[in-house]
Amino acid sequence: MTEPLVRIAGVNKSFGSFQALHDIDLDVARGEVVVIVGASGSGKSTLCRCINRLETIDSGTITIDGKPLPEEGRALARLRADVGMVFQSFNLFGHKTALENVMLGPVKVRGVRAAEAREQARALLRRVGVDDKENNRPSELSGGQQQRVAIARALAMQPKVMLFDEPTSALDPEMIKEVLDVMVGLAGEGMTMVVVTHEMGFARQAGDRVVYMDAGRVVEIDTPDRFFTDARSDRARDFLSKILAH
Amino acid sequence: MSADRVLFDAPGPVGRRRIRIATAATVLVIAAVIALAVKQFGDNGQLAAERWTPFGQLSYLRFLWDGLKGTLLAAGVAALISFPAGAVFGLMRISVRRPVRWLAGVYVELFRAVPLLLLIYAFLLGLPRLGVNLPIFWKLVVPIVLVNTAVLAELVRAGIGAVDRGQFEAGEAVGLRRGQVLRLVVLPQALRLIVPTLVTQLTTLLKDTTLGYVVSYPELMKQGNNLTVYTHLLIQTYLIVAVVYVVINLLLSQLAHALDRRLARRRVVDAGGAAGGGGAPHVAHETEPAGDRIAPMGQLF
Repeated sequence: MTEPLVRIAGVNKSFGSFQALHDIDLDVARGEVVVIVGASGSGKSTLCRCINRLETIDSGTITIDGKPLPEEGRALARLRADVGMVFQSFNLFGHKTALENVMLGPVKVRGVRAAEAREQARALLRRVGVDDKENNRPSELSGGQQQRVAIARALAMQPKVMLFDEPTSALDPEMIKEVLDVMVGLAGEGMTMVVVTHEMGFARQAGDRVVYMDAGRVVEIDTPDRFFTDARSDRARDFLSKILAH
Repeated sequence: MSADRVLFDAPGPVGRRRIRIATAATVLVIAAVIALAVKQFGDNGQLAAERWTPFGQLSYLRFLWDGLKGTLLAAGVAALISFPAGAVFGLMRISVRRPVRWLAGVYVELFRAVPLLLLIYAFLLGLPRLGVNLPIFWKLVVPIVLVNTAVLAELVRAGIGAVDRGQFEAGEAVGLRRGQVLRLVVLPQALRLIVPTLVTQLTTLLKDTTLGYVVSYPELMKQGNNLTVYTHLLIQTYLIVAVVYVVINLLLSQLAHALDRRLARRRVVDAGGAAGGGGAPHVAHETEPAGDRIAPMGQLF
């Protein structure tokens, strides 16, 4: 097997006296969709945010495409440009239209000409189904629309890997599907994805592996089929019984 | 409409009655005070025609006009320096480099605390003894710039602090450098938040120039003062001067409203463009609350 695209090895992270991540090891292969699940406070979001250094780590190493994660400056910015990130609260640039949100990165980071970036951004908005809102600002879009624009914004950088930090947790139920559909489409096209989510349906449908975390540790890594039907650890079974009960 | 709705419950029947009574009482008291003042003025002959007609003379008006020009020049120059300087110091206060942050912090805390009058005395009486003797104009403007830069720096910092953290993170996640995140993402939104407060600060700065009389800089207040020395028309002169200041500040707050509306409208226009492209025109009502949330801030400060 070739070298993993993302390699997380021996990572520890504390917030003050609270240890959020204990000795995390996780490899993500090229084209793989890894779904991280676990109760809130289990460290899954923190782990996701460490991969593009929105959170710093205390020890261990994170390697992306063979290169260790830079700690600061231009090198870090360049790496982040290659790692797409989708946030729970969308975080679209509030003063810019949907189209400008998608164009900003390519123009300012990659140096793409505005006309070219605009065409590319339009194509991406069409792909996520919000091309009719390209001139609207985030405050004029529904949550689902905002999140799809946010996905387009991340894709515009042609990232090697996409991180999703609970992308549907802030959405009304009827909007979750439209976002998940886009994500399933991405997974089908071979995008490497790390997805923190409570959407077990997505994990089953699109996930290659499920990572179950609890209290800052990776407790179990398995295929979705095996994890959901035959989890090995008591904690995972307990977690599943709580979220799959209804 | 906005401030009431955002900050408080809409008043009920009892509340509405209380508000009506309080309003009526307030209006009565104010009217009584004005009537009393006018009566006093009248009794003392201050309203007599010969005490007001001189202000129809060109020489009187030109004298005050020169003062107004002095005020606007001093305030304009001070604003042109202190607004950009305030932005720079505000950014320095959130710098990742500790010495830079510290330096800006010391500056801001110091000059926000020192009374402007004291600074002016320092430039008028203290520094000349040390051989630093600025022209009169700068003896007034430099202290105003020093103080206002400090206040504006705090405003800019507060504005940046009010922008959601997620905006920084989203900018960084896209691959923007820290400076780019500030310039392209955070500052435009921070400025939008603090526009009303910035205009308030501009009016404060304008009024700061009235201390020009301390250094004998011929701004409006000083010119009015000079005029009274010759005419002994104290009340009339200062009333006119006061009205001029009120008018200028009204114009400035109009400017603030216009800016605010323009920023709000730009959003609606964008939305309208999209509506033409097939989107629903429901956007307008979603836009308004965002504008409304800003409005009370200007009224509170």
